Amino acid sequence: MTWNFDILPDFIFNGLSLGAIYGTVALALVLIFKATTLINFATGELAMLGAFLVYVLHMEQGLWLWLSMALAMMISAGLGVLIERSLTRPFDPADHLPVVLITLGLFLIINAVAGDIWNYQVRILSNPFGKFPSWVPSVGGDRFIEVFGSRLKYQSIGIWVTLAFALFVLGLILNRTKAGLAFRAVSSNVESARLVGVHTGRTLGFGWAIASAFGTLGAVLVAPQLGGVNPNMMATILIYALAGAALGGLDSLGGAVLGGILVGLIQAVLVTWGGVVVFGQLYMSILQLAAAFLIILIVLLFRPSGLFGTRRVERV
Amino acid sequence: MIGAEQRLSRMGAFGTAALCLALAVIPFLTTTTSLRQASQIIVSVLAVLGVNVATGYGGMISLGHGVFVGVGAFATGYYVDDLSMPWLLAIALGAVTAGISGALVGLPALRIKGIHLALVTLGLAIVFRPLSKRFPSITGGVSGRSIDARFDAPGWWPGDSRMASSVYRYVFCVLVVLLALWATWNVVNSRFGRSMRALRDNDTAAAVYGIDLVSARVTTFAISAGLTGLCGALQVALVPFVSQDKFPAQESLVIYASAVVGGLGTIWGSVLGVIARTVVGKVGDLVAGFDGLGPVGEFFDLLDDSAFVFGLGLIVLTFLFPGGLAGIGRKDRLRK
Repeated sequence: MTWNFDILPDFIFNGLSLGAIYGTVALALVLIFKATTLINFATGELAMLGAFLVYVLHMEQGLWLWLSMALAMMISAGLGVLIERSLTRPFDPADHLPVVLITLGLFLIINAVAGDIWNYQVRILSNPFGKFPSWVPSVGGDRFIEVFGSRLKYQSIGIWVTLAFALFVLGLILNRTKAGLAFRAVSSNVESARLVGVHTGRTLGFGWAIASAFGTLGAVLVAPQLGGVNPNMMATILIYALAGAALGGLDSLGGAVLGGILVGLIQAVLVTWGGVVVFGQLYMSILQLAAAFLIILIVLLFRPSGLFGTRRVERV
Repeated sequence: MIGAEQRLSRMGAFGTAALCLALAVIPFLTTTTSLRQASQIIVSVLAVLGVNVATGYGGMISLGHGVFVGVGAFATGYYVDDLSMPWLLAIALGAVTAGISGALVGLPALRIKGIHLALVTLGLAIVFRPLSKRFPSITGGVSGRSIDARFDAPGWWPGDSRMASSVYRYVFCVLVVLLALWATWNVVNSRFGRSMRALRDNDTAAAVYGIDLVSARVTTFAISAGLTGLCGALQVALVPFVSQDKFPAQESLVIYASAVVGGLGTIWGSVLGVIARTVVGKVGDLVAGFDGLGPVGEFFDLLDDSAFVFGLGLIVLTFLFPGGLAGIGRKDRLRK
């Protein structure tokens, strides 16, 4: 057993940037769960569809990448509203069985439609943070800077800045707008919100819209790490995001982001770096998946409210 | 109201008679291949029945029952080949092994409820496939393994052709499934079945009334997993080949969906769920046959994809029959 501390910062940086993406997708899950206690199993597929929208707008139509991302996020938001209005609103959210089925059906449909249009091969989507833009003074190279003898990729920095900015905007929307206030009211108590005149349906649609936009953002950011976009790209990301959401507390927005980052770190440091230390080689996918599953299991067993969620008291 | 109920039971009697007739006629009409396919469909009732026991009667959502089909199949293959057990014993032990693994999964279900349990079981379904690749001596690794033993007709069975063996396997599967349906019906209507349902409706109240929550939940999950494992064991008897790629997470979702579409909390719901799934699949095949309809044809191309058809059918059926197919016509009884 050799303790390769010199490569540890590499793993930490990698874990932090993957974790930020998990946090973004976890946020999409929590935004919907918080208001409806419904886990949207189609979150990953909706995000994948958003990434393909960026692919079409940017790679095929030649629009500016950031403009395509903004447009794709808006279209996904619209799609989220549409799904909420047409497919989930007719059902009682307290009865999990039909709603779980609806989101599973959506999962299958979106995956099949994407597979039909774009087939299942990986398509390259340009990386929003491939190289430092020309106005940034070059420090170590055009793709990374040296920190503690390790490479801190421009991509990682870009992901962190983007997520921080997106969270800032989300905070503004939730705390400074009327719709945000309505959303907070509905997610803390549906009945009371309805009594004081909040239109709950419209507010839930608003939650779905932001959630879908965040999912799309996460999928676009993760695409370069997966080599591009393909219809099955979000399958494992969804599990890590679910683990992050469970760890942070399924009804805590800040918890989702922190939980996602923690899952990324656990994956990179405990599993991948630990694997290198113990076995002297990389054991990737299966151990990482198993770790995510164990996180979900342990958290829900011993602390169902997660690190930051609200605890529930049950009454007969 | 009584009239409606009588009409319904008459409908049920007709349905049962038609089903029995179909089951009896099938072996005389088909080839060995389609007889095997028919047997596989019939066997899949067991997996759906397993979900029905856990979710419909026990109130525990499981999105991971494909795992128990896998455990049943791998275990049976191992028993019959590596330990050279006779088939009947191997099948029974395969189901028992799945039941024990189900009891282990049932332990977390003691604390985790509702949508959270759905999350955990979905995670289990996703982890199972890569995990089973890591034990190649039992599962055959990535490419799977074929089982050398054959589940052939014994000497007293009339005829010794390939067809005779196929018919034997078919009859065996039908009998096992009927037996399992009958046994499950008895269990859910026993004292234990009532405590199961009490736990589903309000576990705190049930515990107050003296039901042992721990043993009831674990037993429910074990029975459920055992039934589902029996499905896997019979699959190996029908096709002597096991492979991890037969058990992707989607398989678990399909089993769960069939249970809900058929109707939870009724035994016949499981049969209806499998029938509905088969019909939706056949309709998809049929519609996919049309070509050259211009822009409409583009949409029909999509129907080639069984996942798409299934997803669409899932949403439509959930909208039309929220209580499942078995719940049709029972609305006013359930409302009270």
